[in-house]
Amino acid sequence: MAQAGSAGVCTMPAAFLGLGRHEPRWTLALDSAESELERARHAADEHRLVEAARRGSQAAFEKLYRLHCGRVHGLCLRMTAQRETAEDCTQEAFVQAWRNLARFETRSSFGTWLHRIAVNTVLAHKRRRAESLGAEGSAEDEAAETLEDGGVPDLAMQGDLEAAIASLPPGARHVLVLAGIYGYSHEEVSAMLGIAVGTCKAQLHRARHLLGTRLQLGEENT
Amino acid sequence: MTRHDWFDQGERLDQALATLPRDVPPARDLWSGIEAQLEPAAAGTALATRRNPWAWQLAAAVVLVAASSLITASLVRRDAAPRVAQAPAVPAPASVDAQALPAAFGPSHRLSPEYENAHRQLTAMLQERIGRMPASARGKLEDNLAQLRRAADAINQALAEEPGDPLLEELLLSTYQEELAVLAAANQLTAAGGPGPQPDSSRIQL
Repeated sequence: MAQAGSAGVCTMPAAFLGLGRHEPRWTLALDSAESELERARHAADEHRLVEAARRGSQAAFEKLYRLHCGRVHGLCLRMTAQRETAEDCTQEAFVQAWRNLARFETRSSFGTWLHRIAVNTVLAHKRRRAESLGAEGSAEDEAAETLEDGGVPDLAMQGDLEAAIASLPPGARHVLVLAGIYGYSHEEVSAMLGIAVGTCKAQLHRARHLLGTRLQLGEENT
Repeated sequence: MTRHDWFDQGERLDQALATLPRDVPPARDLWSGIEAQLEPAAAGTALATRRNPWAWQLAAAVVLVAASSLITASLVRRDAAPRVAQAPAVPAPASVDAQALPAAFGPSHRLSPEYENAHRQLTAMLQERIGRMPASARGKLEDNLAQLRRAADAINQALAEEPGDPLLEELLLSTYQEELAVLAAANQLTAAGGPGPQPDSSRIQL
C-alpha cells in the first residue's frame, strides 16, 4: 500500500485529480484564464484609446501616456544611463508618437511601436551629442563614453545590477537592455538599433561578460 | 573560471535581469511638457494612406536620387552654354513649381528658413529661365525634379512610420540637398549672360 502523507491522507486521489501540494491545479488554471481575460480587456481598452487619440483626443493620448510612460522611461533610462536625458527622450518619444499616430498600424502592438520610437529618439540624441562634440563613435570611444558622458551613472539607478548595467559601454548596454531586460529577439534588436544580427549577438555576449566581471568584482570588494 | 562556473553565472545573471522592473516611472510628471507640444491637428489629420513596406519605398528613393544625380550631371555636361544661348525664348511652363517640395523635414520637423528661401529663390529663377532651354533638356529637368520630389515624399512617409530613423533622416536631407543642387545647376545652365548671383546650394543649412 502506498505510504500515506504526513497527515495520514493518501496522496493518490489528490494527484489523480491534478491537485498540487500547495496550489490546486484548477485554481492555477482559473488564475491563468483570468489573467488572459485581463490581458484581452487591457488590449481592447488600449485599442479604443489609440483609436480615440488618432481622432485627435488628447485625453485619450494622456491615458496612453499614463499606461506606457513607466516602461518607455525605464527603457530610455537604462539606454542612456542619465536621468535628465531619459526624461527628455521619453517626452520626445511621446510627442513623436502623437505626431505619427495616424500612421500607426493598429494590427501591431502600440507598446512595441512606442518602444521603437523611444529607441530611435535615444539614438538620435546620442548622434546629435556626438556631432556637437565632433566625436566619432568608435568602439574604443564608446567604451570610454560612459565615464565621459556624465561620469558616474546616475544615482537614481538603484542597486548593483542597475549600476553595473549603467556602466556598460553604450553599444553593449543598448543590446543588453533591449534583449536582456525587455525581451526583444536579436532580430528585433538589430532592426531597432540598425546593426547586424551578428553584431547584436556579439554585443550581448560582451555585455554579459562585462556585467558578470563587474558584479563579481563588486562581490569580492564587499 | 570553469565552463560550469560561467554557465552558472550566466544563468544567475539572466535570473537577476528578469527580476528587474520593466517599468521605471519618471521622477516627475512629464505630461505637461508633452501636452505643450501636441498640435491639435497632428493626430487628428485624416488617416494616412495605407503604406507599402517602407523598405521598398526607401530602395526606390535611393535609386531615384542616384538616377536623378546622373541625369542632372549628363544634362549639365551636354547642354552647355552655346546651345542655351541659341535656344528660342518660350514661356516657362507652370509645372516646374507645381509640385514644389514641402519644406518639411519628416512629419515633425521644419526645414530652416534659409533652405526655404533658397528653394523659393531658385525655383522662381528657374521658372523665368526654363523657357531658354531646349525642349528635350527641359523635359529631362522636369522629370528629374519630379523624381526627387517623389523620392522625398516616399522618404517622408517612411519617416512617419519610423520616426527618428537616422538612415531615413540622412536620406531625406540628401534628397533636399540634391534638389537644391539640381535647381542651382539648371539656373546656371539657363543664365543668359552667364551665371548670376544665386544661392550656393552646397552651403545651405537644412
